[in-house]
Amino acid sequence: MRVRTSRRVRTSTRVRALTAAAAALALLLTGCGGDERPSDGTIRLRFQSLAWQKESVDANKELVREWNAAHPDIQVQYVQGSWDSVHDQLLTSFEGGEAPDIIHDASDDLADFAYGGYLADLRGLLPERLRADIPEQSWRTTTFGEGVYGVPFLQEPRVIIANRKILEASGVRIPTPAKPWTWEEFRQVAKDLTATMGKGKHAVAWPLKEPVSVSLNLGLSGGGRLFHRGEDGKVTIRFTDADAVVPGTVRDQINTDASASRTTLGSGGSDTLPGLFGGTYAMVPLGFSYRQQIAQQAPEGFEWTVLPAPAGAGGLAQGVSPQTLSIAEDSPYKKEAARFIDFLLQPRNMVRLAQGDWMLPTGTAALRDPALHTEKDGWATGAALARHLRPAPAQSVRGYPEWKDKVATPAFQEYYSGAIDLAELRGRLVGDGNRVLARYQRN
Amino acid sequence: MSGLRTSGPARAGQYLALLAYLVFLAFPFLWLISTAFKPARELASLHPTWIPENPTLGNFRQAFDEQPLLQAAGNSLLAALGAAVVCVVLATPMAYVIARHRGRLSTAATGWVVVSQAFPFVLVIIPLFLILKNLHLINSVIGLVLVYVVWSLPFALWMLVGYVRAVPAELEEAAAVDGAGRLRTLVSVTAPLLAPGIVATALFAFITAWNEFFFALVLLKTPEKQTLPVVLTHFLGAEGVADLGPLAAAAFLATLPSLVVFAVIQKRITGGMLAGAVKS
Repeated sequence: MRVRTSRRVRTSTRVRALTAAAAALALLLTGCGGDERPSDGTIRLRFQSLAWQKESVDANKELVREWNAAHPDIQVQYVQGSWDSVHDQLLTSFEGGEAPDIIHDASDDLADFAYGGYLADLRGLLPERLRADIPEQSWRTTTFGEGVYGVPFLQEPRVIIANRKILEASGVRIPTPAKPWTWEEFRQVAKDLTATMGKGKHAVAWPLKEPVSVSLNLGLSGGGRLFHRGEDGKVTIRFTDADAVVPGTVRDQINTDASASRTTLGSGGSDTLPGLFGGTYAMVPLGFSYRQQIAQQAPEGFEWTVLPAPAGAGGLAQGVSPQTLSIAEDSPYKKEAARFIDFLLQPRNMVRLAQGDWMLPTGTAALRDPALHTEKDGWATGAALARHLRPAPAQSVRGYPEWKDKVATPAFQEYYSGAIDLAELRGRLVGDGNRVLARYQRN
Repeated sequence: MSGLRTSGPARAGQYLALLAYLVFLAFPFLWLISTAFKPARELASLHPTWIPENPTLGNFRQAFDEQPLLQAAGNSLLAALGAAVVCVVLATPMAYVIARHRGRLSTAATGWVVVSQAFPFVLVIIPLFLILKNLHLINSVIGLVLVYVVWSLPFALWMLVGYVRAVPAELEEAAAVDGAGRLRTLVSVTAPLLAPGIVATALFAFITAWNEFFFALVLLKTPEKQTLPVVLTHFLGAEGVADLGPLAAAAFLATLPSLVVFAVIQKRITGGMLAGAVKS
């Protein structure tokens, strides 16, 4: 018995010691780190920015500094986010109630967050100045249901970056926003240009790593829209002849005319630049902000120019998903956050942000700034396209991400490579696509 | 013995395969180094070269100018070392018990360890986030260390159980016969033989934590707490566009600690594993 008692005593002592150690560890851990709320009455906001290029980061940080200097009672902390992982990171932060107060993102990433109740409805928070400054078609990119869940502030059209020497030497008509190429003309120009360039060279390189956004956004110029919202609010996909104009031209350039390179079908925009600089390609359709990379990386003596994308029945229209600023629904300081957004998007500040990112501002006052109308680096061409920009098709349609990943991306890839024809593409986009959308629109 | 001999062509084939494998492994790293020293214009050259034509340190300068790399490296080092030490301290005794005291509990524990490997990051991140939030360990390197320990522990345990099983129990019994107590046996007999395993496990935990991105991204809120993999993504833009030169320079620097740690201790790992394997 004595032995047993002594063992029990030893065991209970050990258990107590372990418990104490665990408690101490927990206390220690609890005491360390974590975020503290200041008790000096100063409101502290966290602004998560996705700016990543030096000029853009500098512009954002400078604006935050200016705000902080002018508003000692509302201090903004600049937090660097990343485009690469923003969706997952925000989702987790929202779920955990730790999201930044002011959130930089893109309009095509907002639908889940808006419908999920994570973002504040900005109606009633934003001043009339800002509301009136940004055109209605831009506001539509951040309107989900009845609410507005982000301020669209930067956007970029897709333009054609061209090797000026090759283009001028060939004698083809150089298009302008006032007199763009039609899609038929573009196809013919590409054919003629390829004939003058020599073996192994192509007039066009379509970077089609993300074929859906290229096809849908440029498709608006052909008069297509693919997604049709019925009176009951439900969306269905229809693939009309107008929807086939842009994809058909691209496919013909690659497979029939050989005026577009087959090797760039899986490439991103940056991957095509060496070919553009080296004279393998004369023209590359790219986002407007790629101009920065070109200005930085182009070899000495390389002359380039920015051309508008071709026009069709829809004119120069094309879809965009602007960059946005939103406010977290959980933020206790929504009004203050809205004031900061208003400051950030004052016309002169919007211009600074646009220049930093080599993009176009959405604000009409900012768009009038002379700095954005210079011929240098193609700013004027981009600015002239701004009024033709529309919300990217389907970005607010529930189920769009699944349709894009599972149905549209492989279908467009096979279509552009020549593996399937138009009827098969139509069948997949519409048949398979509507089945996907129906699942999301049952109630 | 003749069965172990390999013919000349077969041996040549083996070396060729080995060489191809080494090239396969080394190619991305060598390309990374080459990219880190190339100026922007060479990065977009139609005919890229292995050796930069105009080597520059500009990418390194830009990387350090634009991002707090040293601070981030310090945070990464703290998190990785913390995770490695705690992981080994916890896993070693657990592994010993599982390996030496076989029973239903140890079988169940081993099974659970294997099953726990099947959980993807996204499944655990939100519950972990909430737990850490309640402990006020969000935005704290200590919180991150805890997560890394939890994440690495099952595999570390699995590794160490194998190492412990490889140490013959007869050696411990012999020590006991010679009068050594349990603690003495563990310290003087088992621990030295287990050292390579412990080092390998620590290395695994260190490298896992050093390279980890997603937990750090989600759990660390303020710039001054962020770790190196998170800071590296700041060189990436939308749609996969990257500031390639500075990214390569920073990524090259980020791989160095793992390489150095591995180079220093790899001899100990292989040396220790072979020690006493053959009777001389």
